[in-house]
Amino acid sequence: MTKHFRNLLVTWILLLVLLGTEFGASFLPLARSMRPLILIPVVLMVAVVATMFMQVGRGPTIVRLFAVAAMVWLSFLLVLGSLDPMTRIEYRVQDASSK
Amino acid sequence: MWLFLATEVLFFGAIFLTWIYCRHWNPAGFDAGAQKTQLATGTINTVILLTSSLVYSAGLAFIEAGNRRRLIQCCAVTWALGFSFLILKFGLEYYKDFAAKLFPGPDFAINGALGGGARLFYVFYFVSTALHGIHMIGGLVLVGWIILRARRDEFSPLYYTPVAVVGLYWSFVDVVWIVLYALIYLVGRGS
Repeated sequence: MTKHFRNLLVTWILLLVLLGTEFGASFLPLARSMRPLILIPVVLMVAVVATMFMQVGRGPTIVRLFAVAAMVWLSFLLVLGSLDPMTRIEYRVQDASSK
Repeated sequence: MWLFLATEVLFFGAIFLTWIYCRHWNPAGFDAGAQKTQLATGTINTVILLTSSLVYSAGLAFIEAGNRRRLIQCCAVTWALGFSFLILKFGLEYYKDFAAKLFPGPDFAINGALGGGARLFYVFYFVSTALHGIHMIGGLVLVGWIILRARRDEFSPLYYTPVAVVGLYWSFVDVVWIVLYALIYLVGRGS
């Protein structure tokens, strides 16, 4: 029991450290295209909450299956949805007055 | 509950995809909008939600050990933290946003070349935070329901499934906010 509470407290402190990390990183002068890298601590925070507070690993197989399926479909949604903006080539239209 | 949460992941996934798509085409306008957000309030709210998940998880551990009184206390603290989140979000932060003319209407504060992207950012901001707020209100109702049932002595170490299920939902709402916090307040902050 005491060990479980200690684990919960350590989890909470870890989450605050990750929150502080992303907060501090947001003030770094990163290039605009590199700024989404600030989301790396967010991924860790989500994993920590899922494993420690939601206890995904402790549930039966069906629970883990649904959790993994949700992540797989989410990644499909985000990757397929991002393909167009990430791969589209923009061609500048020449100004008619400059001809 | 896990099936429901899987559908919720896709529901909020579409909102996150909207952010990716709109920011890709309007990075400067999006960042201009993000820099006007209330960072302090957002950060305090994130700490509040992380703490509420900790307290609820402790309550779950207490009922597993048969301590019903501590479960009620933990649920009451969780409820109060969740309510504080809503007060800060909709009572304070939205008020400041409207006062600063950041609602994407005719008097929108950011104009010029960045105006279009900033408007898109604030459409994302208001839609996503309102949807998250609705989920928070649902969570408060559920935590209140757990308190009522626990007061009627309906939970024991042998039966506490509703406590665990509501805990999953509460932590999921927490997870959604963790992502929204970074997308809204942090990514565009230092550019």
